Amino acid sequence: MIKVVDLHFKYGGVDLEVLRGLGFSIEKGEFVALIGQNGAGKTTLLKQFNALLTPTGGSVEIAGLDTRKSSTGELARKVGFLFQNPDHQIFMPTVAREIGFGPKNLQLSKAQIDARVEEAAEAVGLTAYLGQNPLLLSKGQRQRVAFASVLSMKPEILVLDEPTTGQDYQEGIEIMEMVRKLNELGHTIVFVTHDMELVAAYARRVIVLSRGRVLLDDSCRNVFYRPEILKQTNLFPPQIARLAQMFPERHFERPLTVEEIYREIVNLSENKLNVCCR
Amino acid sequence: MSVVANYIPRDSAVHRLSPLTKLGWSFLLMTLSCFFRDPLVLAGLFASIVLVALAAGILKEMYPVFKGLLFIAGLFILFQIFFISEGKTLFTLIPGTGIGRVTDLGLLGCLAMGARMIVIAASFPVLMGTTQIKDLVVVLVEKLKIPYPYAFMFVTSLRFVPTFMQEMDQIIQAQSSRAHRLDNKNFIKKFLSICPLAIPLMVTSVKKAERMAISMETRGFGVGKRTNLHVKQFRAVDAAVCSGMAAIGIAMVVLHFRGILL
Repeated sequence: MIKVVDLHFKYGGVDLEVLRGLGFSIEKGEFVALIGQNGAGKTTLLKQFNALLTPTGGSVEIAGLDTRKSSTGELARKVGFLFQNPDHQIFMPTVAREIGFGPKNLQLSKAQIDARVEEAAEAVGLTAYLGQNPLLLSKGQRQRVAFASVLSMKPEILVLDEPTTGQDYQEGIEIMEMVRKLNELGHTIVFVTHDMELVAAYARRVIVLSRGRVLLDDSCRNVFYRPEILKQTNLFPPQIARLAQMFPERHFERPLTVEEIYREIVNLSENKLNVCCR
Repeated sequence: MSVVANYIPRDSAVHRLSPLTKLGWSFLLMTLSCFFRDPLVLAGLFASIVLVALAAGILKEMYPVFKGLLFIAGLFILFQIFFISEGKTLFTLIPGTGIGRVTDLGLLGCLAMGARMIVIAASFPVLMGTTQIKDLVVVLVEKLKIPYPYAFMFVTSLRFVPTFMQEMDQIIQAQSSRAHRLDNKNFIKKFLSICPLAIPLMVTSVKKAERMAISMETRGFGVGKRTNLHVKQFRAVDAAVCSGMAAIGIAMVVLHFRGILL
């Protein structure tokens, strides 16, 4: 679905390369988190996926399309991009028209646009707000409007740049749950975040970037149980993983979430109880 | 282009000059460019700006600005040159039809207007690139007696030019990701396609201004008389540079009225 080959990139007027020879593939239906410290090249890499930026060396292919030969508008059918700040895109007088802006650009019929607006609004829980001015909604709701306007274009790949920034805990979880449902429906998800708990809870694969290179590319569990490598780029595993690593003699099954460590503790207690009773 | 109003720190003689001297230089160039219509003289004035940028060690940073100005001037000339019919015909784009006629007066007039535009616009980024905004505010308030809120408003608007450019870039990216096209050939569609960019920019700008106003008020803006810890002094070298500029300026104007420099 996404194929990155020896990707190099530097911004115009700057000698320093931001991306320095990245290479990986992302298959259809994967749920991938891109992590790394500020300046590692995460957002620059995301913007390569819909040709907002194009490689200065190497190549990026999206569903077989070379991003150097395709425009952002063409790739918009394949890649939906959710930006950090919803205020950079909201301009229509109603939520419905805002959500319908993308499908309209794809030159769909009015009936198709209306159907997609309803479907996307329902997916993000904004059906009751369709007639309202999006600028008068809360930040969390505006982020949902932005998310719905991406969903209405029905992209196969969803690229999310820090989707929970500025949201309270509940709003962040709600957005990620929506993303999880879309992933279950077969969408490919790539998201950037600094929240390691979120990565542990949702991502199945993690790509760690450091100074424009891939430092680690593995399953979530394998990545977070290699703290010595993560430390090189000032990243720390989620608290549960750190706690489990403090008890190496307990042989935890490498838990990542509160639920996982709870199950292991319960199992351990039951085993001990069984031993005592015998 | 974010360099247009950004200070570029260097340890150069131009940077050390008083902002008043540099403001005077910029004003002198603007005034002189209005006197002359000979493209060669105007090109000379532009060359003097390039030399100042070189002396200040910021020519590399100014290069994209100058390039952009030359491009805009080129476009301006291209759009104007075919509409001036006075003078001797030099050539026509489609021979025998009179379509695309370029005359000697038209060519000279357009070149002069383009060059004048470059001179007027080019000195400003060099001034801003070599002068810290706070020094400029102090000079405007203390030497030119401009009320502080106005001076502050002026420099703040300059300070926000690069910020708004970055915002605009983000907005263009966000709307392009939704398959929004800006390259419409139809003029009305092209005009309407600006709305998805202009409205978010306006909204984010108003929000930014509101946040800034609150931030200023909470830090005591407008309460009592202001004092400045560091005031950039007008030194002997500034007086010498100003005298030199005045002498050159007067000489050029005199030569102009005697018909030597046009």
